[in-house]
Amino acid sequence: MTSEVDASARRTRNVPAGDIAMSCRVRLARNLADERFPDWATECDRKRVFAKVRAALEAEKTGVTLEPVTSFDAQHLEMLREAHLISKDLLERAAGGGIAIAYLEKSPVCIMVNEEDHLRIQGFSDGLDMQTAWQRADKLDTLLERNLNYAWSPRLGYLTACPSNVGTGLRACAMVHLLGLRLLGEIEAVVRGLERMRLLVRGIGGEGSEAAGQIYQISNMDTLGVSEESTVQRVARISGEVVRQEYNARVRLIQESPLVLMDCLARSLSVLQNARLLSTVEALEFLSAMRLGASLGLFTRLKVLDVDKLILLMQPGHMQKGMKTSLMSEERDEVRAGFLSRKLANVKLKC
Amino acid sequence: MKCEMCHKAEAETVVHKTIAGEIRELFVCQECARMESRRDAPHPPPPHSGGADGVSPVPLMEMILDAAFEIVGKSISLKEPACPVCGILREEYRKRSRLGCPACYEAFAKELESAIFDLHRARQHTGKTPEKAKSAWQRQQLLNALDDAVKGQRYEEAITLRDQLGKLDGGESAKGGQEP
Repeated sequence: MTSEVDASARRTRNVPAGDIAMSCRVRLARNLADERFPDWATECDRKRVFAKVRAALEAEKTGVTLEPVTSFDAQHLEMLREAHLISKDLLERAAGGGIAIAYLEKSPVCIMVNEEDHLRIQGFSDGLDMQTAWQRADKLDTLLERNLNYAWSPRLGYLTACPSNVGTGLRACAMVHLLGLRLLGEIEAVVRGLERMRLLVRGIGGEGSEAAGQIYQISNMDTLGVSEESTVQRVARISGEVVRQEYNARVRLIQESPLVLMDCLARSLSVLQNARLLSTVEALEFLSAMRLGASLGLFTRLKVLDVDKLILLMQPGHMQKGMKTSLMSEERDEVRAGFLSRKLANVKLKC
Repeated sequence: MKCEMCHKAEAETVVHKTIAGEIRELFVCQECARMESRRDAPHPPPPHSGGADGVSPVPLMEMILDAAFEIVGKSISLKEPACPVCGILREEYRKRSRLGCPACYEAFAKELESAIFDLHRARQHTGKTPEKAKSAWQRQQLLNALDDAVKGQRYEEAITLRDQLGKLDGGESAKGGQEP
């Protein structure tokens, strides 16, 4: 075991930041002047807003097509939500809502219409490349503004349905995997520290959710009195600092508590290979450990990207894909357990 | 961590309370925060540190808005104000914590001013300006400056400003000609 742990310690020095910082997203909230905000709008109001945004996208020849939420089936919507392209809020406000997803340079840009605000323009990128995510969203925003009258004031900036977004309307969010800090019992202190720096910390389910699988979203709180550029730089910089702390935690885990680490990995692999029923939350906790082990090179035939794929595919909407009938919860748990067992059948812990 | 007032529920927000003549920051649960906001006028927040590592956590938006609306509502009028554009009442907005339309920011400006400052620790937007709104705003700024220069008999300055206005209007006319 010692030689494998030593090898892992050496490999940890070269752990790519992407193993810890999974992805990032920048969202811009925009509203049309002279239109009620979605929560107070009638169905007619929402349809009119939808039509205006659709026309603006077509006028600019963006190649982005806006489709009504009601044109997607429930399972497809669930898959989009599981991939973090749309929010739960949009699904709950389905009437009059719209979704437009485009791929620019192999990464998605997504627009939600009639969610909490008339428009939510989202740019995505890998790791902590928040600048690219912002530029993607900003480019689309500038194009749309040529054909839409945004609600804006010189003093308060972009006017939003909720005053917590007024100003830039920008939310920059980094998704990070912090299992090392969790295993060392240091995660609470890190989260409190981030909150004292006026950053929001949430689980991957978004606002109000717990951090299943120790995957956290770190985002800015302030949108007024700050520029878009400084916000994006700040969130990226502080998230980078958190990544460094997680990286150091992993090194310490290997050096100071190798047995704790190996036990965690061994249990996770064993359950995933042998369980007959697995809920989404359970599976995510074990896959989180597998992700850490893959990053440290402690599993054969398993890379971090493989685990990320499994994390997506084992979600309820993705599990349902291809099934002729709708699965009940326990049936899904059985299918999930079987799926993960097959996918991980040939994976072994190196020591 | 547990609420520092009731020691029962989980702490979710922060209140500022004067204890022995000193303003202290307490981590409290939502219920205790509501009781505090009803019992006392809200204390002014600590001075904004201005830096990335500012130590000023923000209370929940709903609590701030409740406090702001309650205090301003009592002091300014007994008549329920409404937005003249969308018609929502202050009470309706407080229930959902969502404004009715962009004009609500003007209609409820008094109540929202302190709430927005409590949320963001800022009063002025310093970010992106939409191009259309930028031209209109620049034009207004130039008109105000021109008016000021004329009143102050600074005629050379006024001529410069007039020329700038002319360029701005000329540029907009050119753009207008190109639009479908």
